Amino acid sequence: MNKETEDIKVIREMMEKSSKFFSLNGLSLVFAGIIACTGAAFEHFYRLKTVSMIYYFYPQNIIVIADAFVIFLLAVGVITWFCWRKSKKNYLPLFNNVTRNAAYSLLIPLITGGVLAVIFLIRNAAGMTAPITLIFYGLALLNASKYTFKEIHYLGICEIIVGLLAAIFIYHGLLFWTIGFGILHIIFGFFMYFKHDR
Amino acid sequence: MGSIISDLNKIFDSRIRLGIMSILSVNEFADFNTMKDLLDITDGNLASHLKTLENIDYIQSKKQFIGRKPNTSYEITELGKNCFKEHLNALEKLIG
Repeated sequence: MNKETEDIKVIREMMEKSSKFFSLNGLSLVFAGIIACTGAAFEHFYRLKTVSMIYYFYPQNIIVIADAFVIFLLAVGVITWFCWRKSKKNYLPLFNNVTRNAAYSLLIPLITGGVLAVIFLIRNAAGMTAPITLIFYGLALLNASKYTFKEIHYLGICEIIVGLLAAIFIYHGLLFWTIGFGILHIIFGFFMYFKHDR
Repeated sequence: MGSIISDLNKIFDSRIRLGIMSILSVNEFADFNTMKDLLDITDGNLASHLKTLENIDYIQSKKQFIGRKPNTSYEITELGKNCFKEHLNALEKLIG
């Protein structure tokens, strides 16, 4: 290989490494998806047992919110832990400009969606929870995807589509929620794992 | 042929200087330690290359304090941006 080609390779590598975040591990998404499925199953059986009036804000919905919140924390925890491991292996810092920018782009739509979902819940529109969380999560991924693998961009688009479907079939929120946060993560996670991590 | 070769910037003969310019051309700014990690070189080595680029006004540095720790970050200048672009075009011509 001549010097010019080698130079271009160095330029491209430095541009990518310094502006993108590749410590995201496919397997962590798979685990996050499994956690989401578990949470959804818990929610499903809890509803069967209590015949909860999910479309009104009854105190038992606190359990539902707590369930969702615990799942969210566990999933974020697993993903962060895997990222930390992979960046340590590659001798890269977990927190640098790129991850800060990525987190910022991700969190603004995500928090907006979370707050909006809670507002709808308080206003007795719990049916909007699934579409809102899915759509805003998709927008958040889309917004942050410029800092990482291209697959995250497509995952975001899929989440938005599932979210819109959840808004159409409003009585099957939990089903779409499971597809969006569970199944999609597992599929994309395996795909990314086989493409980038092996 | 001679004219193409003269378009290649001698400053960018060094891979490390090339790497520094690549990083700064896609980031608003980058600090010393980030570049050190990315390029995988020693403090002294990086500092001397940064000095060279700063002396010819391709990059500029900004010293600040994060808490009590001094932190130097660097950004590319207009001149640096243009020269790097010309160098990339010249490289492209040579290969293509």
